[in-house]
Amino acid sequence: MATLSNRLSRWTLLLFACALVNFLAAQGLILAGMTWPARALSAPGTLAAVHLLVIGWLLLMMLGALFQFVPVITARPLTSQRMALWALIGIEVGLGGMICGFFGITASPVLAMALPAGATAVLLGVLAASWNVGVPLVRARPLALPGRMVLTGLVFLVITVMLGLSFALAFTVPALAPYLAGLLNAFGDHALAGLGGWFTLTAMGVSYKLLPMFMLAPEDRGIPGDCVHILGTLGFALAVAAGVAQVWVSAGFLRIAQSSGYVAITIAVAIYLWDIRRIYRTRRRTAIEVHNRAAVGAFGFLGLAAALAISSLGTGRPAAGAPVSVFLVVFGWLGGLGLTQLYKIIPFLTWLGRYGSALGRASVPRVQDLVRERRGGQWFVLYFAAILLGSAFALSGSAPGFRSCIALVALATAGLVTEYWRAWRGHYVQARHAEAAIPPFLASPRE
Amino acid sequence: MTMTEPLTLDVREILRSGGEPLPKIMQAVGRLAPGQPLRLLVTFEPLPLYAVLGRKGFEHSAVRHGEGDWEVLFAPRGAEAGSGAAAVAAVPHTSSDEWPMPSAVLDNRGLSPPEPMMRILEALEHLAPGQVLEALNEREPVFLYPELQARGAVIHTETVGEGVRLLIRCAG
Repeated sequence: MATLSNRLSRWTLLLFACALVNFLAAQGLILAGMTWPARALSAPGTLAAVHLLVIGWLLLMMLGALFQFVPVITARPLTSQRMALWALIGIEVGLGGMICGFFGITASPVLAMALPAGATAVLLGVLAASWNVGVPLVRARPLALPGRMVLTGLVFLVITVMLGLSFALAFTVPALAPYLAGLLNAFGDHALAGLGGWFTLTAMGVSYKLLPMFMLAPEDRGIPGDCVHILGTLGFALAVAAGVAQVWVSAGFLRIAQSSGYVAITIAVAIYLWDIRRIYRTRRRTAIEVHNRAAVGAFGFLGLAAALAISSLGTGRPAAGAPVSVFLVVFGWLGGLGLTQLYKIIPFLTWLGRYGSALGRASVPRVQDLVRERRGGQWFVLYFAAILLGSAFALSGSAPGFRSCIALVALATAGLVTEYWRAWRGHYVQARHAEAAIPPFLASPRE
Repeated sequence: MTMTEPLTLDVREILRSGGEPLPKIMQAVGRLAPGQPLRLLVTFEPLPLYAVLGRKGFEHSAVRHGEGDWEVLFAPRGAEAGSGAAAVAAVPHTSSDEWPMPSAVLDNRGLSPPEPMMRILEALEHLAPGQVLEALNEREPVFLYPELQARGAVIHTETVGEGVRLLIRCAG
């Protein structure tokens, strides 16, 4: 007998809304010329924009999705709906503190303390969120591949944030922990743990569930899926651990371990992309919706980012290619996958919240009636094209060219945000359905 | 009681040539010895037949071997499940004893969410209190459960092959 319980995450749409605002704010910082490539990678504006992107946008978006996704794949409720809100508050307030800290480091030592204080709040928020989704995941073992990948991702998330907090302490109060000072050289490993171990593995796990579900393809990914998970986990763990260890110990075997990690990651990404192609090719649903058509762009950018990272490592000039790879991962792969899947998740949750109780009893619109796929599709084309062009400008070192592409990215993002808003408001739904109440957002759905 | 060797009937050729296999199936059912199951080989899952033979006291269990290749075992109620299809996807004992025969059957396979949920809730509105709807889905309809709970319906879920079979009893 299946457990009957409410399956709608109370705060998910609020997390999505905050995430999208942060994404637009980060784009604003880039457009204002306060970040790389106009400024240095270590400039306060760059650090603020990067953390607005990864914490403010990607983390909140991913957690919002997980708060909804984990109860679905585990058939268990979250530890607590309220904990999701506390996680959001901790992360948003902490992020605000961190941004003040980045800009305040050179201005005043007191203001600089906002950096470790903010990082602590983010850590607390992340711990609350991880506990919230981690407990149902652990209790639902044995887990299918998506659940296992999310659980692995959560471990990397906590490691990433703890590394970040150590940086903040080393940066602002070097006297407190002098042995941490060298850690600042490991910022690349911090980024790899976060963008790779956490975001990429988790996004892969979620995509392994969502794609087959809406395209009617086999969910069991067999040995290739397990290879992606195991090689990805080993690869990111080895690369990050060996990278951080080299802060204190310079040894040949650590460099070999780090390189082996990169190779494992590359193989995992290659198998994953091949497997995703298999999902598209073996799908039973011939006409697929725009969110999955557009997601192909995100998968393409994952491949492109990996290829660029390999080529810049191979030529021994990681400094040239690495920032562009990170840009492709953040905007193209993770951002692109997020925006495309939100185009389905937001209307889906809105539709459930608004029409669920009327289903079968009254004429209700379909989920796809809440969106205009043609408009969404046009914004996705602009978004991905602008990122491709922007990466070319960044590689050639043209800051103005890069910024003009970001302006197009911002336009496409704003266009998509408008479409999400319209889906939520029921803008496209015919007048006969329009009298239905606004769906749960800040209000609680039926418990 | 050991299970009698099933009588096998292959109607795949008849179906492929556009013919009507029902007379042959009913003939075969008439030839069955007491307690003997019927093993039917078909090109698709014969959903209407479930209700027809269900009324004659048969439980069904189906296994899909491939595209256009189904094996369905119709066992007289009370016969012990043996090997083959029945062992893979046997209806749990409790469901047949405690649940009335389904009044309607919905095949939701090949539909992506939330269409199965919409169809089920719509079909339930046409049933009388206490009547049962049988639905075959690609996956467990997790978002359906709160709606069923709110409507006082009861659901029994079981895995069948690559999908799930749902029995939903209307409130009342």
